Amino acid sequence: MNTEMDFEELMDEAYGLPNGTAKLGMLEEAARVADVNGMEEEAYEARSEIVETATFCGYPMKALIAFSWQLGKFDQQPERYDEETLMWSYKWILGELSSFPEVSRDKMMELLEDFGRRFKSFGYSDRSYWYYRFRIFMDLGDLEEAGSSYAKFRTMDRDFMSDCEACEQDEIMRYWILKGDDEQVLEAAKPILKGRMSCAEIPHLTLSEVLMPLYRLGRIEEANKHQQKGYRMIKGQNDFVQSFAEQMDYLARTNPSKGIDVLEESLVLAADHEDPFAKMMFYARAAQLLRRWAEESPGYRLRLPASFPYEGDPGDLHAMADYFEGYAKAAAEKYDQRNGNHHVSSLLANV
Amino acid sequence: MAASNEYRFQVNLSGMIQILSNHLYSSPKVFLRELMQNATDAITARSEAEPGFQGEVRVELTGIGEQLTMMVEDNGIGLTEADIHEFLAMIGQSSKRGQQALLDGETSFIGRFGIGLLSCFMVSNEIVMLTQSAKGGPSMEWRGKPDGTYTIRQLETQLSPGTKVYLRCTPDAAHYFEPEYVKEALFYYGALLPYPVTLRSEGVQDIVNADSPVWLTQPELAKGRKAEVLAFGGRLLGETFEDFIPLTTASGRTGGIAFVLPHAVNLNAKRSHRVYLKRMLISEKAENILPDWAFFVKCLIWTDELQPTASREHFYENEKLEEVRSELGDALRQGLSDMAENQTERLKKLIRLHALSMKALAVQDQDFYAMIYRWLPFESTRGHRELGELMAEGETLYFTTTVDEYRQIHHVASAQSLLVINGGYIYDNDLMATLPLAVQNVHTERLQPDQVSLSFTDVSPAQRNDYYDALRLADSALQRFRCRAEVKGFKPEDLPVLFTLSQESSTLRALEKASEESTELFSSVLGSLSSGISSAGYSTLYLNVNNPIIQRVLTTPDSQMTPIAIEMLYVNALMMGHYAMNRQELEVLNQGIVRFIDWGLRANTDRKGDA
Repeated sequence: MNTEMDFEELMDEAYGLPNGTAKLGMLEEAARVADVNGMEEEAYEARSEIVETATFCGYPMKALIAFSWQLGKFDQQPERYDEETLMWSYKWILGELSSFPEVSRDKMMELLEDFGRRFKSFGYSDRSYWYYRFRIFMDLGDLEEAGSSYAKFRTMDRDFMSDCEACEQDEIMRYWILKGDDEQVLEAAKPILKGRMSCAEIPHLTLSEVLMPLYRLGRIEEANKHQQKGYRMIKGQNDFVQSFAEQMDYLARTNPSKGIDVLEESLVLAADHEDPFAKMMFYARAAQLLRRWAEESPGYRLRLPASFPYEGDPGDLHAMADYFEGYAKAAAEKYDQRNGNHHVSSLLANV
Repeated sequence: MAASNEYRFQVNLSGMIQILSNHLYSSPKVFLRELMQNATDAITARSEAEPGFQGEVRVELTGIGEQLTMMVEDNGIGLTEADIHEFLAMIGQSSKRGQQALLDGETSFIGRFGIGLLSCFMVSNEIVMLTQSAKGGPSMEWRGKPDGTYTIRQLETQLSPGTKVYLRCTPDAAHYFEPEYVKEALFYYGALLPYPVTLRSEGVQDIVNADSPVWLTQPELAKGRKAEVLAFGGRLLGETFEDFIPLTTASGRTGGIAFVLPHAVNLNAKRSHRVYLKRMLISEKAENILPDWAFFVKCLIWTDELQPTASREHFYENEKLEEVRSELGDALRQGLSDMAENQTERLKKLIRLHALSMKALAVQDQDFYAMIYRWLPFESTRGHRELGELMAEGETLYFTTTVDEYRQIHHVASAQSLLVINGGYIYDNDLMATLPLAVQNVHTERLQPDQVSLSFTDVSPAQRNDYYDALRLADSALQRFRCRAEVKGFKPEDLPVLFTLSQESSTLRALEKASEESTELFSSVLGSLSSGISSAGYSTLYLNVNNPIIQRVLTTPDSQMTPIAIEMLYVNALMMGHYAMNRQELEVLNQGIVRFIDWGLRANTDRKGDA
C-alpha cells in the first residue's frame, strides 16, 4: 500500500521518471511534505523541479504558482538560493503568461519590466528582455511593437542566459507566420530544417509550423515529409498540443483520415492541458478537421478518451465540431478582450 | 644492407597520448580493441582483394616481469612503407589541427590504423610493428616510443603478408597482460568475429572464439538453441539470463538477441546494449539503438549499416539509425506478441518483472496493449491485482489521475466496495483512459474525489430539518476556507468527516498558499488568475451522520460549540489528508487546541466545585 514517503524518497522517485503528470504528482507530494514539515530549502528545491516539469508537460499554471512561491522566498533571502536557475525559470513563466487571458496587458508589462530589471541587476545581457518583449507583443497581436523589439534584440549580445539559437530562430519564424509572409517563414526556417540549429524542442515545433506555409506555396511533397517526421517526434507528448493543432490544420486539407488519427491519439493530451491557448488552438483545428471528415466519411464514430466530458453522440461529427468550435470561440473572445484587438479570433478563422 | 632511419614526430606524442586516453578512450584496456580492430580492418581489406581468403588473428604472451611481451598478429593486407608514412603524417596533421580534428575526423583506414596503434602507448613504452604488405615490396619494421622518436627500416628477410605488433608491458599495466584477462578481453571484443582468434601463452594454445554461433547470421535459429544462446549471452554480458527474443531487421544487415533482464529495472537506468559493428565490438553502452521503452532487455546487436561516432560508443542519430531502431523495436514487439499468443506463462513472468516497460510500450501501441492488458498490474481498492482480474469483477473501472486523489478517497471507496484504480503512477492513468479504445466492452471512468459522494447515502428530509441550524452554523464557519459542509451517511462509521477537494479548489489552495509567500507583483497576478477559476472551486467537508461524534455535534444545543467543533474537524481533516495549511488554518488549529484544553479544565473545576 502507499505509505507516506519521506522527502528524499519522493524526490528520488521523481528524478527517476520522465517528464509527465506522474513525475509532477511526485514532486507536488514532495513539496507538500516539505511544507508540512517546515523544510524550506527542500520545499524550494521541489518547486524548482515543479516549475521545469510543469512547463514542459502542459501545466503552466502549476509552474507559475510554484515559481511565485520561489520568487517570494528568494527575495526574502537571496543569499540562500541560486539566482541563475530561478532567473532561467522566469523566462519560461514569461513565455507562458500571455496564455492566461485573466492576466491583463498592464500586468504583463509590469512583469516584463520586473524581469528586465532583475536581469540587469544580475549583470545579464539585455537581449533576453528584448527577446521576451518581442514574444509577448507577438502574443498580444501587436506586430508593430513586436517588430521593433525584434530589430532591437537581434543587435544585442547573447550570453549564457539567452535562449538558445534554435529557439530564437523558431520565434523569428513565428513572427513571419503572423505577418503572413510564407516566403520569409521558410527563409527563417532554413537553418532549422537543414539541421544546423536544434535543441530539445527544435525542430519538433518547427516541423509542424512550416506545414501551412508550404501548403500555401504548393510545396506539398516537402510538407508531407516534414509532417511525417514532425509527428513522429512529438507523438504522445503533452508539450506539443499546439503542434498537433498545426498538424490537423494541414491534414484536414491533404489527408483528413490521417488527421483523424492525430486527433484521436492526442485529444486526451489536449483535453487535460492547462494552457488555455494551446487547448483553444487544438479545439479550433479539431472542429475544422471534423467538418471535412464528415463530408468524406459520414457516420464515422470518433473514438473519444474515457475521461473526455463530451456527452453527445460520437457519431454526429457536426455536433461534435460545434462543441469544439464553441469552446475555441469562447476562449478567443477572452483573449481579444484582454488584447484589445481581434488578433486571436482571426487566428481561428482559417484561410 | 637494410636501410635504417631515425625520425622524430613533428608533434608532441605524449600530448597526443594524453588526448587519446583522456578524451577518446574510456580506459587503457581498449588497446586490445584497437589492435583487434586494426587486424580486422586489415583482414577485411585483404578479403576484398582475394575472395575466399581465410583470415586469422593470433595473440601470444611471452616472458615474465619486465620482459612480459604481447604479440598480436594478423594475416591481413599489411602495410607498405608508403602506408606507414601516411599514417604517421595523418597523426601529425591531426595534432596540428587540434584534438577535435583527431576525434571527429572521417579518417581513412590507414589513419585509423595509426591512431589505434597509438593507444598501445597507454600500456607499453615501446611498440614494435613488423609488417609485410600483400601488395609486395620489402617487409618493414616500425619502432616507436612515447617520447616521439621512432625508426623505420626495411627488413632483410621477407615476411608473409600481415602485421605483427609487439608490446612490452609497463609495470602499471601488468594486469592487462595476464593470460586470463587477455583471453576474456579477446572474447569480449572478438566473440563474433568470423575467423579464429587464438591465444598462446605458457605453451597452451586456445581458440578464443571457437564457438562462433550459427545464429549470428540467422537470429531466428536462436529459438531452437536456447541453452546455448543463454550461456553465450551470460558469458558476454556478465549476467544470468533466463529468456531472450531474437531480433532482425528487414534488410538482414542488423540482427541481435535481446536478453530479458532477470531483475527489475529503473525507468531511468542507463541502457547498455552491446553492439558489434561488422562483428567487432564497437559499443558497450549504445543507448540509442533501441526504442526508449525497451529498458527491460540487454541486447547483443550486430550491424554493418550504422555509422559510429568518433568515440565509437554511439551511433550518429540519422535516418538510418531511426529506421533500424524502429525495426528492432518491431522485432521485439513481435516476440512479445508471439509469447502472448503461444506462451502466456512466459509472458506473465516477464510482465511481473518488467511491468513498467510493458506499460510504457502499451501506452504507445494500442494493439500491443490489447494483447497484454490482462496481465498488467495495477493498485486498486481491491489490492494489487492484474487488470484482467479487475475487469472480471464486471463493473465500471473507476480511476483517479493522481496518487493524491487516490489517497483522498481510497478508504471511503473501499469501505463502500467501490472498485477504484490508482492512476497516479506513471502510465497508469493513460492506460485507464485508453483501455476502452484497446479492448472492447470495458468501461472506465475517471473518478474525482468529490464524486465519491455519489455512493453516499442521503439523510432523510426530516433529519435534514433537525440538522438545519447546525449545518448553517457549519457553513458559515467554513465559508472563509471556501469550503462547505454536507451531511451524508457513509462507511466506515468511525470516520467522522471526509474532506474532498476538486481539481479547481486544489489549484485555488495552491494559488493562495503561493500568494502568501510571493512578491506583491506576482501575488496580484495570482489574484487575477484565481478570479478566472469558477466559484465551483469549493471544497466539501462531508459530515458522517453514522458517526456518534458527528451526531453529537449536529444536535448539541450549545450553538457556540458547533462552529468551533466544525472548524476543528476541518483542520483535522486537512491534517489527516496531509494538506499543507495556510496561515488562517494554522491559527484555527492553535486556538482550537488551547480552547479545548481550557474547556476541559474548566469543566473539571466546575464539577469539583459542584461536589
